[in-house]
Amino acid sequence: MSEHPIERRKPLSRRDFLRRAGMTGIALPSMAAILAACGSDNGGGGGSASPSAAFQLARPDNPVTLPLFDSNPPIADGLSPEAGPLRIIGYPDYIWNRVLKKFTNEFGAEVEYTQYATPEEMLREIQTHGSDFDLWVTTTVENVGKVATAQLIQPLNRTYLPNFDANAWDGVKSQYFDVGSVYSIPYTIYETGIAYRNDIVTEDVAAMDNPYDILFDTKYAGQTHLLNGARDTLSVPLFRMGESVSTDDPAVLEQAKQMLLDGVSSMNWKFDHVDYNELNNQFAIHHTWSGQLTYYIYYLPEGVTIDQFTWVWPPQEVGGKAGVLATDVFAIPKGAQNPVLAHALINMLYDGDTALENYSYEGFQPPNKAYSIDKVIADGIVPENLRNTLLTEDHLPLGSRPLEVQEWELEPATTQLYQQIYTEVTGGV
Amino acid sequence: MPEGAGSGTRGAWFPRWFWPSFATPATLWLVVFFVVPFYVILAIAFGQLDQIFLTPIPVYNPLHWNANAFVDVVQQFTTSGSVYQSALWHTLVFVGIATAICLLIGYPVAYFIARHAGRHKTLFLVLFIAPFWISYMMRMLAWMNLLQPNGYVNRGLEALGLIDQPIQWLNGKPITVILGLAYGYVPYMILPLYGTLDRINTATLEASRDLGAGQIHTFFRVTLPLSRQGILAGIVIVTLPMFGDYYTTNLLASTRNTAMVGTLIVSSMGSSLVQQGASLVLLLLLVLLLPMLYYLRETSRASELVSGA
Repeated sequence: MSEHPIERRKPLSRRDFLRRAGMTGIALPSMAAILAACGSDNGGGGGSASPSAAFQLARPDNPVTLPLFDSNPPIADGLSPEAGPLRIIGYPDYIWNRVLKKFTNEFGAEVEYTQYATPEEMLREIQTHGSDFDLWVTTTVENVGKVATAQLIQPLNRTYLPNFDANAWDGVKSQYFDVGSVYSIPYTIYETGIAYRNDIVTEDVAAMDNPYDILFDTKYAGQTHLLNGARDTLSVPLFRMGESVSTDDPAVLEQAKQMLLDGVSSMNWKFDHVDYNELNNQFAIHHTWSGQLTYYIYYLPEGVTIDQFTWVWPPQEVGGKAGVLATDVFAIPKGAQNPVLAHALINMLYDGDTALENYSYEGFQPPNKAYSIDKVIADGIVPENLRNTLLTEDHLPLGSRPLEVQEWELEPATTQLYQQIYTEVTGGV
Repeated sequence: MPEGAGSGTRGAWFPRWFWPSFATPATLWLVVFFVVPFYVILAIAFGQLDQIFLTPIPVYNPLHWNANAFVDVVQQFTTSGSVYQSALWHTLVFVGIATAICLLIGYPVAYFIARHAGRHKTLFLVLFIAPFWISYMMRMLAWMNLLQPNGYVNRGLEALGLIDQPIQWLNGKPITVILGLAYGYVPYMILPLYGTLDRINTATLEASRDLGAGQIHTFFRVTLPLSRQGILAGIVIVTLPMFGDYYTTNLLASTRNTAMVGTLIVSSMGSSLVQQGASLVLLLLLVLLLPMLYYLRETSRASELVSGA
């Protein structure tokens, strides 16, 4: 089991001390501004007026109730839906157009969907033009606490979300990064694991002592892909080493960097999400999200069937290695002009049939108890051989399993270090 | 005559500001789309970073600028094995070779059209420029299909007995990126070369021949020197976008071994390294300034020669 980062932190070298002191010095004014904002209101959730208690890194053993502010209240009960249009910011194709049209038919409001490829781009847009959007799909777990504390998003009014209360898995109704789902509602839930072509890879990856070794097996050099994102990419060497994927130990991160640089030379990895071109014969193994496998079905090259793919999520296998379990969440920006519509769409996406319909297109699983895994298989959304990509409530609550399964929030300086390593390893491709 | 009106023949009918005012749209364009964005890049490169969200905070007052990120990038360039140094090296090599290929392909094509295509000149020009009509991205995506292990390129090479196993063209090979760049930008080389070669007075060539020079001698002593401005223009037009190119290597290679400065700049935009990205833009500009100044000097010298003649 991975140790908690604080437990395994080593004494700082002089250089590390100076670097951190410098970063802290830079960080303080901005942090102070946020904390001052927190302190100006009586944090509803935070309890005490202590500003330092208002902004803290959420951990499963340190769940955070995000503060409420008088200047940023939730919308009142019983309001009628606005005329729209409902303006959404999110990943491309993350909600099926058919579902959005259904929403338009039901509420009479058009939907405008602005696409961004990365959470960082979305965050920047929300920071500068947050009120131009009504619904943010999706906020990452890493950012929920920060954007809530900085009042970039507004508290939700649960009276508009009966489907969430009725259908959401109990384990996602109150998560450690936002106790009570005050500001965020989970949209999808997925694993990060290893997908491979079982007709090319001869090893039984699930039975390996360390399944992450397969990503470093030079037999598959040039045919192995890693996800392109700082946290996901670095999780590979960190898990392989048995370290926390949220470590802030520079020595461990340096070791992870070297492992990745060695792998870049020996494995010639590609850093991507894999689409048709990659699946077309250059593909043997991919460190990827479970939801991504449902896309494979549509990208299969001629002569290849989905039966030729196997999914391994190390925590599920014998010996239970660590692996990531992640969730993307909805949030409503502060100043949204159509907040009732935004609540209505979230609520609609928690309707059992709509959730399943949407899932059949966008491929990432909703944490919704209105459908069963057997139904998902029977409907052909996920093929039988990939049944193990599907999560159940048994996998929850997030992050409190014996094995670390969640990427936690990081200190800003650590986030930057992760991104520097990622750039060093990938060259920005 | 109104006050301030020009006294020259052409200006006699208009106030003095009339003709210079024609530069207003271009000046405005330059200010809005170059000067202001460039200053924003400066303000980001030398600005601050929000240490909570890690997003850039531009600082517009130069008195408050902080050069840490810029210095960091410069240091990275001089650090052996760093990704910045690798990317710079890749960029210089890839762009240099691809430009040479463009010239080697573009010059004969432009020469043929200008001198030997006769009345079909326009037709040939259109045919050679036809790939322009399809977007660069689409052409690169087409190459991705052609270069697949079971794509037509490998199949063709196998049919000719040149290879036994498919070549993994898309597996981070520098040659694929170089050929992709050359393919993508060669039309930009042909056009200025054609323009220059087409304007060479045939009487000059005939004079060379009359004075006893052979075809080859005439080409190297007359045609080539007279087309120097076209070559320089072609090189500038081709290399400038190549230096900032990132999608060619991203689409055709997508590995660290083929990363270019452009890929670092683009990736920095979506991360906390945006100050480094802005610094890279400035450094790239400095690098490109030298050949640009050389080109401007040569152009102005050529103009002086023409006007002197």
